[in-house]
Amino acid sequence: MFIYTTPVYRLSLALQGFLDEQFYQLEELQDESSPNFVEEVVTLFFRDSSRLMANIDQALEQCPPDFHRLDKFLHRLKGSASSIGAGKMKNECAGFREFCSEENLEGCLRSFQKVKKEHTILRQKLENYFQLLRQVVPVDKATRSGS
Amino acid sequence: MDPSRAASTPSHGPPGDGGGPAPEFPAGLRVLLVDDDPTCLKILDRMLRKCLYHVTTCSRAAVALSILREKKGWFDLVLSDVYMPDMDGFKLLEHIGLEMDLPVIMMSSDDHKDVVMKGVTHGACDYIIKPVRMESLKNIWQHVVRKKRNELKELENSGSVEEDDKHKRSLDDGDNASSGCVGNWKNAKRKKEEKDEEEEEMVDEHDDSSNTKKPRVVWSVDLHQQFVTAVNQLGVDKAVPKKILELMNVVGLTRENVASHLQKYRLYLRRVSVPQHHSRYDAHFGSNQEVTYNSIGSVGGYDFQALAASTQLLPQNIAALHSGSRSATNTGMGVSAIDQIGFLSSGKQVTNSSNIISSSVQQINSRQMNDIRGPSNNIALNQLGQSQQVVQPFGSINQQFGEGTTKFFGLPSSELTNFSLPGGTINEQPNNSLARHMNQHGQQFPISQQSCNMDITWQGLPHSRGQLLTETACHDSRLVSALLQQVPPNNISNHVSGRLETSANMLTSLPANYMNASCSTSPQALYPDVRNSFIIGLAGSCYPPVSSIGATPLTGSVKALSNSSNLKGMDNHVPDYDIIDEYHQNKSQDWKLQIVNLPYQSGQDRGHGQSTIDCRSSLMGNQDSTSTAKNVLNSNAGTVTKNIISTRSDIDKEKRECIDQHRTNLVENCNRVNYDGIPDISYQDILFEDNIITNELMNVVRKQQQEGIGQVDNEFNFNPPV
Repeated sequence: MFIYTTPVYRLSLALQGFLDEQFYQLEELQDESSPNFVEEVVTLFFRDSSRLMANIDQALEQCPPDFHRLDKFLHRLKGSASSIGAGKMKNECAGFREFCSEENLEGCLRSFQKVKKEHTILRQKLENYFQLLRQVVPVDKATRSGS
Repeated sequence: MDPSRAASTPSHGPPGDGGGPAPEFPAGLRVLLVDDDPTCLKILDRMLRKCLYHVTTCSRAAVALSILREKKGWFDLVLSDVYMPDMDGFKLLEHIGLEMDLPVIMMSSDDHKDVVMKGVTHGACDYIIKPVRMESLKNIWQHVVRKKRNELKELENSGSVEEDDKHKRSLDDGDNASSGCVGNWKNAKRKKEEKDEEEEEMVDEHDDSSNTKKPRVVWSVDLHQQFVTAVNQLGVDKAVPKKILELMNVVGLTRENVASHLQKYRLYLRRVSVPQHHSRYDAHFGSNQEVTYNSIGSVGGYDFQALAASTQLLPQNIAALHSGSRSATNTGMGVSAIDQIGFLSSGKQVTNSSNIISSSVQQINSRQMNDIRGPSNNIALNQLGQSQQVVQPFGSINQQFGEGTTKFFGLPSSELTNFSLPGGTINEQPNNSLARHMNQHGQQFPISQQSCNMDITWQGLPHSRGQLLTETACHDSRLVSALLQQVPPNNISNHVSGRLETSANMLTSLPANYMNASCSTSPQALYPDVRNSFIIGLAGSCYPPVSSIGATPLTGSVKALSNSSNLKGMDNHVPDYDIIDEYHQNKSQDWKLQIVNLPYQSGQDRGHGQSTIDCRSSLMGNQDSTSTAKNVLNSNAGTVTKNIISTRSDIDKEKRECIDQHRTNLVENCNRVNYDGIPDISYQDILFEDNIITNELMNVVRKQQQEGIGQVDNEFNFNPPV
């Protein structure tokens, strides 16, 4: 599994600040017995976070907004993001939570937009990443099996 | 998504045939993981498995509590999130502390001091800040050991070898010690209810003696059962501590531990066989909260059915106990009930009651040494099983659990209906059949783990089914391809063929479809994304949920699957489990090897990797998303060749240097990216940069591929590297 364990890949994503050290931990968890672990987790994350964000959208539309409920969603979203190493998204969530605790609806709406943007960007980056892996890894494995 | 990897397959377990060496502690530590966040759950599960722990996952606190209550003694440690929707993590912590007294570790991304303090005050053994790192989890076993040592200290302090001292103390403890067993029993019962105070009492009283004593083992349910197994194997009369120790094979257990425990056990057996004061026993036990107590209708005329139901009794033992108890002589041992309590109660309880026991022991010691042996022992001690949880002596409980596990699996099926699952309950039939099949093949530990995961991973219904399939068939790519060919060419097959990672993945998609087609009770609206997630997981690159799969095309796949696996009269609900059956019978060997994912079995892993490679090479055909499975499989060789040839170049050491240079260049490129200024970069720019880096990386990749393909080159008439 040389290619995607090379620091290069992680560096490219990490240094851009979208993924942090935790993502590295996930990659470490991937091995022959669990060869697609990272992608599975990421997929799971995006599914779960999309749902969470839909809930947040709904909560923000409520009049008056239930900040307590919002905070719960945010805590969950932030936890999820940090667990896969999505550093930027986690930070945006933290900012959102600040506004939430101040019950600043305007601030909430703005920061939620940022959160959504980070979410989309991250998703795209990771898609690219995994696509790249798919092109590389099978050949790697095939050659290794031959060796 | 690959549930097999996620939660079902135990990361390790005793070798299938039960003859291999038991893994070293802390491997095999049985952890219950509770977290409502599925991402975190999956990650933690994987991490724990990498630590070689047995993991059971749970996303609801209420479910976790039920599991803990039903499967007493089944877990060593609980790992729980703090913020959960249905129950506060601290509340769960309290419950566990009160009812099961297991070590609990709290987790949260919230690192505020007051929250951490709350964890401490509620009795958590540890508090881990999320995101969790592997390092944090590697050492959680220390909490189990520590707790058990502390409990043992109390236990041993009160029921130690120096019985003179204990005798005095016991007399002090028991208000009515002089009035005989009733008083003593009442005392014991009261003490049981006032657990905490009693604990402190014990600790205080025996503190001085504990300091002088060596640390001892706490005889937990499981440890004791192991002990009993060993004793039975050797024969109760012939059992010697040394041999018992060897048989048990528990790290950290000394011969002295076993010896003292054996002594107690023998004394207990004698008393247990005398049905002296069962009426009083009944009355007292009736009001007791503990499951163990409730299960025992009477001491002498044991309510064997109740015993069997509540404990994992071997049928032959029940019968033996019948005969054993009848043949018991009335030795006038008024303390039989108390002894019962002593051995049956929780750790703290034992401290007190063993005082009483030791006093009575002295009385009967001279006379009763060689009385009653045999199977009655087993039952009494099986009863013991329920109250204490301690470090699991890994690897040797298989025999004990022989039929117990079957019964054990009997439980989940009924439990399933009790659990209020989101989206309805699962048809419990499959669990039993699977359990039976697995049981037959002697996979005790992995089975129990798998059954736990079958029942418990309530992420969504498809999980359990997926796990069942993946567990048993994850290695068999041939069978998968056969199945694939029968899958109708709709969205599912496209995605699946595109991502033929492993047969496991394939099969997980099918049960998802089954859920749609066959489980009318499950509100499908709730889980379109769950079902789709399998496909998403398989496809890898399609994050937005795939459009809902209609029921009609799935019927075809269900039938196809049924046909391919030669189901015998099973309804469409459970064709997957029959497949498991078939797989199991045909591939039990491989399955065993696969399930036991121990490091020293890397050979088998490679073997598995081999079949995985076959599947993976089919990924080459991923480009064509409309290709059928067959085509993908057949075109494997061609596409691999194509790729190799397309990336061909001269291969020698200098290339390595080039690659290194490339790496450096790439790193520099990365460094040039303005980290701070990223928020200003537009979405397009980011993608563009990505592409640049991607292209450069691909070049690196190709060059590295050539390195790796060195040996393959010969086949294609390349010039081999010198």
